[in-house]
Amino acid sequence: MKTILIFYFLIPPLPPSNVKANDYPNDAGGKIEIKWELSPMDSTIDCYIIFRQEKIKDKWSLPETLSILKRGTNYFLDSNCKDKIEYRYFIRAVKGEEFSDSEFSNVAISSGQWFHKKRTSVLILLIVITLFLFYFLKRAKKEELFIRKIPGLDAIDEAVGRSTEMGRPLLFILGLGTIAEIPTIAGLSILKRVAKKAGEYETDIIVPCFDPLVYVAASETVKEGFIEAGRPDLFKEGNVFFLSYDQFGYAAGVDGIMLRERPGAIFLQGYFYAESLILAETGNSIGAIQISGTTAVTQLPFFIAATDYTLIGEEMYAASAYLTREPLSLATIKGEDYVKILLIIIITLGLILETIASFTGKDIFHFLKNFFEVI
Amino acid sequence: MKKEVPLAITFISGFVLIVALFIPHEPFGSLQERFNDWYIIVSGFTLILGIDSLLLYHWRKIKRKEKEAPYSIALILSFIITLIWGIHSGIKYGSPFSPNSTFLRYFYTYIFVPLQATMFSLLAFFIASAAYRAFRARGLNATLLLISAGIVMLGRVPKGEDFAPYFIGITFILIAIVSFLEAIPRVNLYEKLIFYGISIISIILIFPIGYLLKIHLPSIADWIMNVPQLGAKRGLFIGISLGAIAMALRIILGIERTYLK
Amino acid sequence: MKEFFEKISRIDRRIIYVIVFISILIPLLIKKGFEFEPLPEVKNAYEFIENLPEGANCLISIDYDAASMPELQPLLEVMLIHLFRKNLKVIMMGHWPLGLPLGQIALEKIARELGKKYGEDYVFLGYRPGIAAVMLNMGKEIRMVFDVDYKGIPLDSLPLMRNVHNYNDIALLIGFEAGAVGDAWVQFAQARYGQKIILTSTAVVAPDLYPYFQAKQIVGLIGGLRGAADYENLVKKRGFAFSGMTAQTIVHIIIIIFIILGNIGYIALRRLR
Repeated sequence: MKTILIFYFLIPPLPPSNVKANDYPNDAGGKIEIKWELSPMDSTIDCYIIFRQEKIKDKWSLPETLSILKRGTNYFLDSNCKDKIEYRYFIRAVKGEEFSDSEFSNVAISSGQWFHKKRTSVLILLIVITLFLFYFLKRAKKEELFIRKIPGLDAIDEAVGRSTEMGRPLLFILGLGTIAEIPTIAGLSILKRVAKKAGEYETDIIVPCFDPLVYVAASETVKEGFIEAGRPDLFKEGNVFFLSYDQFGYAAGVDGIMLRERPGAIFLQGYFYAESLILAETGNSIGAIQISGTTAVTQLPFFIAATDYTLIGEEMYAASAYLTREPLSLATIKGEDYVKILLIIIITLGLILETIASFTGKDIFHFLKNFFEVI
Repeated sequence: MKKEVPLAITFISGFVLIVALFIPHEPFGSLQERFNDWYIIVSGFTLILGIDSLLLYHWRKIKRKEKEAPYSIALILSFIITLIWGIHSGIKYGSPFSPNSTFLRYFYTYIFVPLQATMFSLLAFFIASAAYRAFRARGLNATLLLISAGIVMLGRVPKGEDFAPYFIGITFILIAIVSFLEAIPRVNLYEKLIFYGISIISIILIFPIGYLLKIHLPSIADWIMNVPQLGAKRGLFIGISLGAIAMALRIILGIERTYLK
Repeated sequence: MKEFFEKISRIDRRIIYVIVFISILIPLLIKKGFEFEPLPEVKNAYEFIENLPEGANCLISIDYDAASMPELQPLLEVMLIHLFRKNLKVIMMGHWPLGLPLGQIALEKIARELGKKYGEDYVFLGYRPGIAAVMLNMGKEIRMVFDVDYKGIPLDSLPLMRNVHNYNDIALLIGFEAGAVGDAWVQFAQARYGQKIILTSTAVVAPDLYPYFQAKQIVGLIGGLRGAADYENLVKKRGFAFSGMTAQTIVHIIIIIFIILGNIGYIALRRLR
């Protein structure tokens, strides 16, 4: 036994085997992945070195070192290939001063793919969503589509009215999102409605903004709202302004505005982070009616605890459709709901199949999970 | 024309980016990255717009000698001092955040960091007052929220499980008292028996539930966080993602135009 | 009687603030702590680092700023102590420009205490904008994003960085998260390049990251002050986080007492009406 062990540590390392090189799938080209079986003496070797040869004018170039890999590694991604050039690889197992090389891999050529196969499920879902959408768009032209009551949105008129009676301004906070984020755009659509109501009731509206681009969009939105209400003269440019690009600087500034201006109604509509509770609690302390809405799941509990009405997640996205009752917008909400039902069915089916798979141990039942695995 | 051109740009860029998601081949593969880079560059310039708006807002307040004008003066002065100090440190030390720079040592470490940390620490106080106000047993949902909040609050801190039996004891005694007081004015014998029964069961359950919580409270708290909380959160995420898709489609198709002039 | 119940159902928020302030202050001044078992996700993180071979490269990403400093800075320092004690190499960068100086301050402080040399044992790369672009390009070649360190020294001049090109050469990535960058690390570095990741975060962000730990996409998760205190216990270097846990326990109890009082007042008033 001792002799065998000594022999095992003294002889040169056995090389890795079965080196396979393939074009890396679902990419823009320039990558080849190399897999191999570890050396039978993997535990005793120091490292693997991977070499590459390129075919230039029907001749193979000198081997080029690509990388030094730890023992136990049996995969490497070569990201520096040129498309349409033939490459082959071999792996060297190194132990001290001694080494041994594997056989050459098959010849591989990298190329870009025109379709990402792993995203087939996404494409199918997208087509299904679009089909649902167009179906409901067609239906919306013939009949009025029903969507349930959303108390937070119904309370907007009440909030603006209350503020007017108290002779206090409105405060609209669009959160910390940028103009590129959908919650901010949803917030802007609610802002337009609130600005229009403020114009009708002749109430001031203050909109401190976190992002400069959002400030530009908000300023135009509020102006549009007042124009639609027929009171462009009531729009005060100084009431919509950029406050701070710092999270807590913004929160401190808004808190200061709340405590000084004492708005009758506060709207918190957008994407919020940790400052959400600071804003909501300060608003509560001055006795304002607060209508919040965010898609930030971590901040929803704070809004639910501290504000009077909360639009949870997608209720915020439905706001513009709900408030305008525009048929095309309502159609997208309906389409989205039916897709949700479809997803629930797929998830339930997946749950049943995975449970069966775990009991039977058969891979065939993983087909739904494999189909939806996306990179 | 004023509305049509931006709508066309929105539609084309939205459509192209959706298509690019499925085509790894150049030029589609790196489109998203490139659009992101353009956005970063453009948004950098808009900071100038924002600063202009901020300074003008406060300058107007100073000019009109409004009540809060001194604060506006303080803001503008702080802005100028920070800008000059940062530029000076940048020139002298290579970067305002170089280890030797006075900007890092004095302004950032002794002014900026304490101010930020102070604002964040307000959350500790606000969560206490919000929890006190919001966690009332108004109905079934509110009561479930109250119980799970209590379990998680005690289960996630060291030695929380040692205090749980006392709180359970107080809670069950209160339930027993309320049930007993509910039973007294009742005329219907069946209702009377139910409320007396709840009262007695509450007293009996104090010790076994208290003991159970002392041993298993952290695991129950973990279960609440890892099972119902996570399940609800995932459901919310799916709903929000679908809502975002619907909203994005409305924007791309030009149905939603509030972001335009 | 009715007045008493009205008083306890409407306690002035200022009284609540004062009591919370006192209950946080006293334990921090007394500096006594409870003994407790570390959470499994923290233990996983600790053991992963313990099992790394000497000389392995660890990338630290500073994705928080001064607001989250009380929660994450003590943990960063204790983690650096752990990494340096095990003779692991530290490469620091970040996605929050206003938080990077905090990372730099901690790195310089701990490196000085433990006699580590810049360029050989640790390197500070700084900040580059882009988040997703930075993460993706680092997977191809770090020099595509950071061709020089924060001092302007080319990476190839630094002994530590000579053989570090992409995630293949990084044994572990540790993200200090106060926002959504942790999700991006998992999406880009882990999903595409198989990078091993430990995420540390504020208590508010931690619930968002648990699904990744459950799905084994990250090897460890250290959330909030509790996670930091657990890690301090495991590394045997108790500090601010450990003494902070006593304050946290007491405050939680105080809040529950207030909630019970509020409910007593609410239910009693409802009955009296």
